[in-house]
Amino acid sequence: MGAREDFTNDAMQYAPQLFATALRMTRNKADAEDLVQETFLKGWRAFDSYQQGTNLRAWLFRIMTNTFINKYNSQQRRPQETELDEVEELYLFRRMGAFDQSKMTHSAEDQMLELFTDDEVKNAIEELPETFRIPVLLSDVEGFSYKEIAEMLEVPIGTVMSRLHRGRKAMQKMLYEYAKERGLVDESLLDPQD
Amino acid sequence: MADCQETLNELERYLDSELSDARVAEIIGHLKGCTDCQGAYEFHADLRTVIKTKATNEELPDGFLDRLRDCLGDDVLGDD
Repeated sequence: MGAREDFTNDAMQYAPQLFATALRMTRNKADAEDLVQETFLKGWRAFDSYQQGTNLRAWLFRIMTNTFINKYNSQQRRPQETELDEVEELYLFRRMGAFDQSKMTHSAEDQMLELFTDDEVKNAIEELPETFRIPVLLSDVEGFSYKEIAEMLEVPIGTVMSRLHRGRKAMQKMLYEYAKERGLVDESLLDPQD
Repeated sequence: MADCQETLNELERYLDSELSDARVAEIIGHLKGCTDCQGAYEFHADLRTVIKTKATNEELPDGFLDRLRDCLGDDVLGDD
């Protein structure tokens, strides 16, 4: 019983992170809560197979990712690699000149914090097809390595890299479109050579 | 030292901390002397921070942690 008490205490600290990522995966709170509960139950039951001293956080995220793919995505197991448009390299960076400078503050990071609302960032992730959304969440949001993500998704590292690259570009394009819709962009400011 | 094209190609892996120490040193060497690439690097580093901050800005539903503990507790009782 002691080891399992430890599990509850150790795992509980990751519950908020798991919930935030579950919410981006499932896109609604009730399903996200169910997914985290199921992840904890599976972790609890499989705790004998968990090796003490290894990365509990990565282990929990792996369980959650597999549970999500199997449960919520059973109709769409086959990855659809072609469902994202090709987006040019450095998409958003090349367009930053089009943002209305009067709405900008000093540091670049503060500018971006103000340019994109929480909902826009969340939507940009959630609008990604699942094949791309999950690696982006695991990398950009949760900071897992390519190797860890490859193990979680059971795909080669090269596949993780390519999905991240394409997913991130698509996300940048969506963020730009949201900013355009809110009237923050004047495309006449862009250098035609870009 | 890496050139601009190599640096931009590897920016993502650099930000992901997936390059070897030797390659990181080459990229940093280039960034120090190239304001264009330095700007691209800072932009993408900032964007990463903004995405992470905003995507994780979630409040747990009321009672979430209690329900989570309860569901594990039920499982223990169920095993008895």
